Amino acid sequence: MVWRQQDKENAVMTTQTVTVNRSEQDLAPEQQLQKLREIYAGAPELGRVALEKMMPELEVATRLASKATINGRIGIRQGKVSEFTLMFKLKPGGANRLRTLLGVLGGNFQGADAVGTVHDMRFVLFDNDTRLLFATAYDGEWDSYIVDFSSKIPDPLDVLFCDCEGYPGMHSPKIGEYLANHQIQADGWYVASPNLTVAETKKLEKVGAAVEQFLDKVG
Amino acid sequence: MLSVKESVGENRSTRAPTLELHEIQATVLRPRPAPYFGTHVLLRVDDARAGRHFLNRLTPHIASSANWWNAANSWLAVGISYAGLEALGVPKVSLQSFPEAFRVGMAARARQLGDEGVNDPKNWDKPYGTGQVHIGVSAFSDSEEKHRRALAIAREQYEGFSGVSVLGMQDFGAQPGDRNSLGYKDGIDQPPVEGSGVEPLPGQGRPIKAGEFILGYPGEAGFPLPMPQPDILGRNGTYIGFRKYQSRVAAFNRFLRANGNTEEERELVAAKLVGRWRSGAPLTLAPDGDNPAIGADPRRNNDFDYANDPHGRQVPFGSHIRRMNPRDTTLTRLTDVNIHRLIRRGSTYGPPYDPNAVSDADDEVPRGAIFQFISAKAMATIEFLQQEWIQDGNFIGAGNERDPIIGRQEEGATFTIPKAPVRRRIHGIQTFNVLKGGEYFFLPSLSALNWLANPIGG
Repeated sequence: MVWRQQDKENAVMTTQTVTVNRSEQDLAPEQQLQKLREIYAGAPELGRVALEKMMPELEVATRLASKATINGRIGIRQGKVSEFTLMFKLKPGGANRLRTLLGVLGGNFQGADAVGTVHDMRFVLFDNDTRLLFATAYDGEWDSYIVDFSSKIPDPLDVLFCDCEGYPGMHSPKIGEYLANHQIQADGWYVASPNLTVAETKKLEKVGAAVEQFLDKVG
Repeated sequence: MLSVKESVGENRSTRAPTLELHEIQATVLRPRPAPYFGTHVLLRVDDARAGRHFLNRLTPHIASSANWWNAANSWLAVGISYAGLEALGVPKVSLQSFPEAFRVGMAARARQLGDEGVNDPKNWDKPYGTGQVHIGVSAFSDSEEKHRRALAIAREQYEGFSGVSVLGMQDFGAQPGDRNSLGYKDGIDQPPVEGSGVEPLPGQGRPIKAGEFILGYPGEAGFPLPMPQPDILGRNGTYIGFRKYQSRVAAFNRFLRANGNTEEERELVAAKLVGRWRSGAPLTLAPDGDNPAIGADPRRNNDFDYANDPHGRQVPFGSHIRRMNPRDTTLTRLTDVNIHRLIRRGSTYGPPYDPNAVSDADDEVPRGAIFQFISAKAMATIEFLQQEWIQDGNFIGAGNERDPIIGRQEEGATFTIPKAPVRRRIHGIQTFNVLKGGEYFFLPSLSALNWLANPIGG
């Protein structure tokens, strides 16, 4: 798999239009489905057959409002949750360093715990260890908090991203712009609980445990 | 140096200030007098040359922050919007050096600010948000007579000259007891600015790096923010976010009556919404009942933290003062609370708070507050505060709840008052302060004003 710079530029271009995955939104539902059929005419047979079987489901989808909105400059948002997908070229040896660091961490990201809005994070090294895909789901906005990150957790971020080409460091005034320039908007994204933030999920866990305890006492 | 007795408010000058106070406009550092009288004048520049001549006449009357802790009586301040800088013929390369949110103006940032629904710029009073407000001149005084004189000085600089038009004038002033339009003593908590030459008041916290509030100095991150260019234009300048709110006094009174059967109960609800009794006494220091003596004492009315109130049982997490300055509150989101501060110069307009106003007509009476939020990154900070601390509750674990005083509320909005054994959740919170206008102004240094008024070759 080879990602060209061109792809990124195209990705940025698509964000200029405000709707997400509904570039056909002006079309009536029947027309959208018709167009989809036409495009899938070139798909492998099993895809064409599957598409026909899915038609009732797709028809329902076209009649629902799109769940996705654009968050800030770029990125899809559903309810309170946003996706943040970044792609970087790595310096020589960077992939090995990052993989070793991630191994030591073993999924214990105390910095992310402290941030309090991060639902998940994935680091994917690909293209023969020359590139990094970083994808996360988070609550609210990220760029309003970039200076807070610089102030509070510069080290965990600097050590993770130091091998990305051009990375200016969390203390640089250019950090927000750098990250925005490496962001690629997802073309599709699903969120099970778009209205639950990390803070609310933690609160519900606590409340749930308290309710069970209470029931244990009275039951 | 002046003695404490001669100082304004309770600020004491200590060591030599490190800021270029003679360059910074007085309004940045000088607190509002008590009582206070003033006027905001909004002007449009119809001709670049005439506009520059006006600035040239006005600049000698603009007060600097030199000896700002003095018992100052009266001063003029001037701010210029992006449209104003364009109208004055500022070179393109300089115009492009201003931040984007400033260039497009507050109305165009309505989405980022959450200024939607009832607060939508299309509902604003004219001339706000029309792009015609070019220059704002504010006169602050501690007596009515000095105010008349200050305003007359400002007026002499534009009246009778063509090329500069008055779009609007808004008088403001302290009301009995120095209360705002909802009956609260306000404007108590201000961030201390490092190097400004005064000792912070008790409870004000450590001084915050000057670069957060004034361009050209290192900020909390250790470096100065990008400045408008050339340096002489940017240095010692700052930005003002100007927001005019109209208070819906009747809706507020009806809300209090619906949630309190006695005067005492109603005052407690009013105190929980803000975190202070209407006298200004904070609930942390006066949890069981009002203590007006604390409210009136600037050395005591802000001297607290939340160490003994981790559950918000004194000051609710969602109350106005705990949102706007969480101090040592544990937030759900990683936040540096020192980088989202604003210097606030509030000014109350219209008739005083009326505790008996309950009719719909009372809500239409023009009265409320005009805030001048001052910061070297005012646009970014106001957007942050609107998005995160005013129009959301996630950062304090309050879900969708919004600031009960300046938030724009949706149908069915609630306000949670933590209490043992079970919290009280109040329904029926409404938008008690409706946004009626807003503008961003650049507040140039005195040298920058001269630079703007007298361009080389101009």
